[in-house]
Amino acid sequence: MKLLDYILISSIWEFAITVTVIGYLIVLLALIFLFFVYLLIPKALDFYTRAKLRRAGKKESEESTISHSGEVNAAISMAIYLCMSERHDIESGKITAKKLSKRYSPWSSKIYTIMGGLNSRF
Amino acid sequence: MALRKLFTLIAAIAIIAMISSSFKLYEKPDNSIQQSEQTVAVQDMGVDESEAGGIAGLKKFYQYSGFANATAGHFVMILVGLFFIFLAIRYDYEPLLLIPIGVGILIGNIPFVEGVGLKLGIYEDGSVMNYLYKGVTLGIYPPLIFLGIGAMTDFSSLISNPKLMLLGAAAQIGIFLTFLGAIALGFNPPEAGAIGIIGGADGPTAIFLSSKLANGVNLYNGETVLNLIGPIAIAAYSYMALVPVIQPPIMRLLTNDKERVIKMKPPRVVPKLEKILFPIIGLLLTGFISPSSLPLLGMLFFGNLLKESGYTKRLADTARNSMIDIVTILLGVTVGASTQATVFLKDTSLMIFGLGAASFIIATAGGIMFAKFMNIFLSKDDKINPLVGAAGVSAVPDSARVVQNEGLKYDSSNHLLMHAMAPNVSGVIGSAVAAGILLSFLS
Repeated sequence: MKLLDYILISSIWEFAITVTVIGYLIVLLALIFLFFVYLLIPKALDFYTRAKLRRAGKKESEESTISHSGEVNAAISMAIYLCMSERHDIESGKITAKKLSKRYSPWSSKIYTIMGGLNSRF
Repeated sequence: MALRKLFTLIAAIAIIAMISSSFKLYEKPDNSIQQSEQTVAVQDMGVDESEAGGIAGLKKFYQYSGFANATAGHFVMILVGLFFIFLAIRYDYEPLLLIPIGVGILIGNIPFVEGVGLKLGIYEDGSVMNYLYKGVTLGIYPPLIFLGIGAMTDFSSLISNPKLMLLGAAAQIGIFLTFLGAIALGFNPPEAGAIGIIGGADGPTAIFLSSKLANGVNLYNGETVLNLIGPIAIAAYSYMALVPVIQPPIMRLLTNDKERVIKMKPPRVVPKLEKILFPIIGLLLTGFISPSSLPLLGMLFFGNLLKESGYTKRLADTARNSMIDIVTILLGVTVGASTQATVFLKDTSLMIFGLGAASFIIATAGGIMFAKFMNIFLSKDDKINPLVGAAGVSAVPDSARVVQNEGLKYDSSNHLLMHAMAPNVSGVIGSAVAAGILLSFLS
């Protein structure tokens, strides 16, 4: 019985270690593979764009000029944000209800209110 | 701040201690024979012939009430639920998850008479909660959550600096070492695989894998595997909420002052075409490498394509707002309710909590150490701040936020958030791939 238990436990451990080693290697290799693919994509796109420009007879620029520092990006983002939020807020700034000038109406006249009517009567 | 962390830690330890002390307490106030007698009595109206109708009715009402069926275990779990709600509201720890889970724990631990056909419990066939719980057991909710995550995630930082992807891979060491740890503690391989995935620090992935491997239905060597969905989900989400407490000490321990102030190059601007190609290529490659991870990664990349294509704004908006909110509510409440004291309060739960803590620590350390290892081969200008490696554990976006805060402590002008988001999202991909591999090995 002990021997059977030992065989069972050792086979479980053997299996577990195999799963651990192979499993982790697959995860690592899968992401390394993705890393290389994503490393190549911008290069391939760049190559394609340059080839397209060359075919069209246009001059290709040597370096990309859209790489800014974090501070510059932050400043641009802040400027865009402020611009967008300012654009929404171009209002009079008055928060009071607008006073409407209406023509005279007996319905809003003090003369014909109940108290007014009573006071005027007595 | 320190006091707050200390308080949280003490409270967490106290809860675990309470749970452990209550393991022996999950016994009905009366013994099981009395319980079955009680059940029969309830079925037979539980009334003495001589008793008047009113008294008999009151007696029956009492027998059906929670007071008559309560055990110490139920009260312990109710306290745990209240503690989760407290953590969420008082300390803002993952409130979107902890409040539904906390309320779910309360719902799942209201005592009631079992086995008389009331169909109330989450484990009783035909009950409303059981139907909602099928989304967990059948693995429906996690892919939907991943769809929403894909639709709200910006992979720009990862695309602009793909080498940070390797940190997400390195941190997955936590999953596999925890798997070995669980085997050492006596769990069988499928259960150990489900426990190991806690190290992926990704709630939906943990629930998905545990619903496939440790669901209380599958057989392993002729024996039914344990149902560990509840404890694994609770452990994963608890530690994810406690990332701001768990990670900083490890980050400080494994890095020196010089490394913590390394400034990384700002990420480049990523063209739209690259953003569109990323999910398509990612879906195809990861799908071919690990088809078992398709339900998660397929939906993640699909959601991201909805966002980046620019033509499906309505669908992307629905996926990242209404849909993910609905599924989060259902997932949180049902996972919380699945912690019914009868199922949850066992020695295995405490072991899972211990292994979960270990897996988070190992995963964090794995990411940091791999960043340091990569720095050996990188030029001076391309060096990686090793703190960023800690974000490889997934737990989006909390661990990236922790990295940002730690970085700012040592250099107030060193903003690491953008850089940390890269290993953070690659950690999601890595843990889903790992889940797929474990599923194909162990199912």
